[in-house]
Amino acid sequence: MSVMSNAPHKKSVVTNVGVRQAKARKDTVILDGDPVTEESLAKKGFVSPEDVLRLPRITENYLCSPEANVYDIDFTRFKIRDLESGTVLFEIAKPPSTDSEEADPEPEQEELDPNAGRFVRYQFTPQFLKLKTVGATVEFTVGNKAVSKFRMIERHFFRDKLLKSFDFEFGFCIPNSKNTCEHIYEFPTLAPDLVKEMISYPFETRSDSFYFVDDRLIMHNKADYAYDGGLQQ
Amino acid sequence: MGLLTILKKMKLKEKEMRILMLGLDNAGKTTILKKFNGEEIDTISPTLGFNIKTLEHKGYKLNIWDVGGQKSLRSYWRNYFERTDGLIWVVDSADKRRLDDCRKELHALLQEERLAGATLLIFSNKRDLPGALLAEEIRDVLELESIKTHHWKIVWCSAITGQNLLEGINWLIDDIAARIFTVD
Repeated sequence: MSVMSNAPHKKSVVTNVGVRQAKARKDTVILDGDPVTEESLAKKGFVSPEDVLRLPRITENYLCSPEANVYDIDFTRFKIRDLESGTVLFEIAKPPSTDSEEADPEPEQEELDPNAGRFVRYQFTPQFLKLKTVGATVEFTVGNKAVSKFRMIERHFFRDKLLKSFDFEFGFCIPNSKNTCEHIYEFPTLAPDLVKEMISYPFETRSDSFYFVDDRLIMHNKADYAYDGGLQQ
Repeated sequence: MGLLTILKKMKLKEKEMRILMLGLDNAGKTTILKKFNGEEIDTISPTLGFNIKTLEHKGYKLNIWDVGGQKSLRSYWRNYFERTDGLIWVVDSADKRRLDDCRKELHALLQEERLAGATLLIFSNKRDLPGALLAEEIRDVLELESIKTHHWKIVWCSAITGQNLLEGINWLIDDIAARIFTVD
């Protein structure tokens, strides 16, 4: 099986957990409490897990600034493998940062889009939606402060339809640590009509990944997805 | 309805188990984790933090935490004790020089209140290495017979070949299930 990836920005490496999904079937996903609007959250000052679980759609904007990540949490690798064939379908790793690289910060690109580092675009083939069991791995490093109650909530939408909401608490992270987490899960069965639409309308499948420390939002990454790879040629 | 009953019922609904894998550095924890999940094991480096796997096995959702075993990391182990249902203690059965250290660390863990309810599986790993001690010998050196506070079992294995990994983990899961998921 071939899977294509096409990240639009050089720096937008592994900032998102891609197609990882909760076990919850799409028809059982419900909003947790009354819906909130993105605007009301922006005014509130800080964002909690309960807040994002009540968002009825993908966000237009980022709900925190890149500077909110005071723990220097850095996603350094993302991998998807198919457990049935045992093959790695997709792997992207961030090269270790060195002093020389930091001395050469590519100023032009930085000025163009300050959010480049937190958006990823994925281009997959239609076969991707037919996978049965996959493992999605993220690797991340933590700065010199201990992190407590590290939690990730990821929500995938096709247009305004919530496909799945994924919630996992890493808990404590050791200072200066490198950690990995692989979720192995059964791909949920999507209705054929929905699959057809997801293939026909590239990048209308989108996700928000929210990361919390002590129940406060510290990182917000976004991704969008196309499943029409190989069809246009 | 007692608190324990309520807790049992909550767990029953999710059928989720939290398993913590510890042991001295270079015991083979990460290799066991990867081999058990059908991953390549040729590029494993010392764990400087944790590796988590969540997976479905035997109808249960397992969250397995493998935390680095280097001396500088051991003081952080306690941050991962909470809600642990099963503890896997991995021993390098060919590393005779450090078995004393290994025994002390294990027995210190078993004093931990937050691990009091956990089932204990000891993997006597690296059975494939020449000079590796037998599981019976490891049992004696680690003074496992003195453990009265936890359900425990020692199983020899080889993380490299995968031998006995499934047997050991299945025993652990069955023991936890019998304790937690039995509706009374």
